[in-house]
Amino acid sequence: MDAGLLEQMLIGALLALSVYLPLRCGQLSLATPGFFAIGGTVAALLSTRIPIFAGTGATSPLPALLLEMTLAGLLAGLLALAIGGTVLRLRGIYLAIATIALVEILRVITLNLSFTGGALGIFGIPQPFTTTAGYAGFTLVLLALVCWLCARLEQLRLGRAMAAIRDDELAAACVGIDTAQVKLQAFVLSALLAGLTGALAAHFLNSWNAKVGSFDASITTLAFVVFGGSRTWLGPVIGGLVLSALPELLRPVGDLRLIVFGLVILLGPVLFPQGLITPQGLQGLGHRLLGYGQQLRGYGHKLLVRVNGPRRP
Amino acid sequence: MTAAPRLRSRAERHANARFRLGRLNRLALGLALLGPALSLGGCGGPDPAQQAVNLSQGVPIGAVLALSGNANVYGQDQNTGLRLALAELNGQGGINGKPLALKIEDSGSDEPGANAAFSLQINRGVLALIGPTLSQQAFSADPIAQRRGVPVVAPSNTATGIPEIGPFISRVSAQSSVIAPLSIARALELHPQIRRAAVFYAQDDAYSTAETTIFQKALTDKGLKPVTVQRTQLNDQDFQTQITAALQQKPDLVVLSLQAVDGGNMIRQLRELGYKGAIVVGNGMNTPNIYPICQKYCEGILIAQAYSPELQSPANATFLRRYRASQGGAIPPQLTAQAWTALQVVAEALQRLDRRQPLQQSSVAQARKALMAEILSGTYQTPLGEIGFTPSGEVIQKDFFVAQVRMAADGKSGRFALLP
Repeated sequence: MDAGLLEQMLIGALLALSVYLPLRCGQLSLATPGFFAIGGTVAALLSTRIPIFAGTGATSPLPALLLEMTLAGLLAGLLALAIGGTVLRLRGIYLAIATIALVEILRVITLNLSFTGGALGIFGIPQPFTTTAGYAGFTLVLLALVCWLCARLEQLRLGRAMAAIRDDELAAACVGIDTAQVKLQAFVLSALLAGLTGALAAHFLNSWNAKVGSFDASITTLAFVVFGGSRTWLGPVIGGLVLSALPELLRPVGDLRLIVFGLVILLGPVLFPQGLITPQGLQGLGHRLLGYGQQLRGYGHKLLVRVNGPRRP
Repeated sequence: MTAAPRLRSRAERHANARFRLGRLNRLALGLALLGPALSLGGCGGPDPAQQAVNLSQGVPIGAVLALSGNANVYGQDQNTGLRLALAELNGQGGINGKPLALKIEDSGSDEPGANAAFSLQINRGVLALIGPTLSQQAFSADPIAQRRGVPVVAPSNTATGIPEIGPFISRVSAQSSVIAPLSIARALELHPQIRRAAVFYAQDDAYSTAETTIFQKALTDKGLKPVTVQRTQLNDQDFQTQITAALQQKPDLVVLSLQAVDGGNMIRQLRELGYKGAIVVGNGMNTPNIYPICQKYCEGILIAQAYSPELQSPANATFLRRYRASQGGAIPPQLTAQAWTALQVVAEALQRLDRRQPLQQSSVAQARKALMAEILSGTYQTPLGEIGFTPSGEVIQKDFFVAQVRMAADGKSGRFALLP
């Protein structure tokens, strides 16, 4: 498989995790592309304007990328912190609409500021990696780290509080969980992740413009989570990987590829209303795999007996 | 007999406990180990660019066009041009007896799609790339080709700065700063009484914002500072607010930098709301696909073009013959002619290169590099007239045209009539 496609898939998975974090505590936030756009803009501006970040202009140093990602994540996180308190008072579909508005406001601001390049955006972003494989390797490590943190989160007090709020916010508040605080933390984490992913994506895409943070992008990232499942971190990761890759993998189908892609998005939630990956499904799969493992072990034992002869007492 | 079941159940208990404890953590760890492994694996294989050019299917050329998404009206025109040029070139013997093998891939209308399609084509070992459709896509995808040393001939990128992306990037589409002012000058010749110009553009579209700057500068240079500048969005359908605001300024010239669909709707609504003056449009509406949208209201709009079907030359005659035969006598649009030209340029450069240094004797990387130099050094007799390139890859074109749309009586079909 082409490393460029792999990189797109990994970025898709990271964005899906960003949508998943607020969803874990029942908050349908579609703000991810907005924070993604902020992160990318930060990286694009720094690496095209500031000499230390720009490197030679064609290639830029790796520490600069890490610093950009940190700054981008922090800026997105701070913005989320600033607006989260107000926005998160809304629930369900109202929160979704407010976050769509946020994405739209950020997009129009980007279009009208002169230093973000208007509609043309910022181009000629230098490359921290000489090959796309370098990007893919780096992003895979990043994704693994984020996955590990998400997996840890499910065990931690914060993660359990998030799950409690998702299942019943009133009950969670009654047992002493500060629901507003937990929801805000999830929102900020989500923004942070989207921001640093944006910084990486800006380098990978060579150019950055207002189109990356659009309503369409909100829906695409939400589709990753709906398709993959929102109960465990593996769901959005699989959803992001599969749905990012599918339009490319379907190229042999020719003109029908977008129709097939649409059908997959349609059939996913119809056949798997909870998403492809659910904790129950995973457990079932795990047991089945273990079963196969035992069976194999049995075969292996028999083979050994046949080769070595029965063990002597 | 009893030992085996006990062993199995103990192993199962043990495994189950482990499984419960850390199944997801281990999965994450597995992912982490996979990363470096994959990137190492990617570096280990032989570099396809160092292998000999694979001519088994013909001479490999790639094209990346927006065949889906909101730019597909352009991509379809270009697709027709490439297919016709391919048939014509291969009918004449291809590259010194070897046929051209052109693979066309859809980029969608966004940047990630263009990047993916570029990488796919380059990995296939193509010697040159034609595309992408939109300037915005070019800013994202062209650096990939530049880094990997693959010649790009852009058939339709008009924004400033495309050939400057690198030495491997060239274009056959004249930039809007050359073409756009021509139509303003012509409009003023036709209607010398024009005093008040209104400008419209889509503020979220790279092409529109780039072109409107050029239009506004051209107007100001002629002493016609725009009385109003109205912003729209690419996906807007309803422009009543902007039109009403503009008409209050009593303009007698309207200048549009909009794409085909929104521009067609804009013209229709301008006329419906009572605007009677002249309309100048930009390159985005340079396609017959606007006729079904603005219908009878398209009548009389002025447009500067890099191609005229009425140009008298053998190359244009061949193109017209091929186009009319395949499209039932229709008149070809500029995008189709430019796409044809792009493939013709690549093919003629390949023919010269192959005569000097046969393709099968070079590696893919060598052939790509030599081909780029060959493309830039030649002059070409194309449907656009005679063209050549500057050393940086910018097109040098002699003939530009200003046309006026003439609709048929039924208001369904029309043509770009060349102004004398």
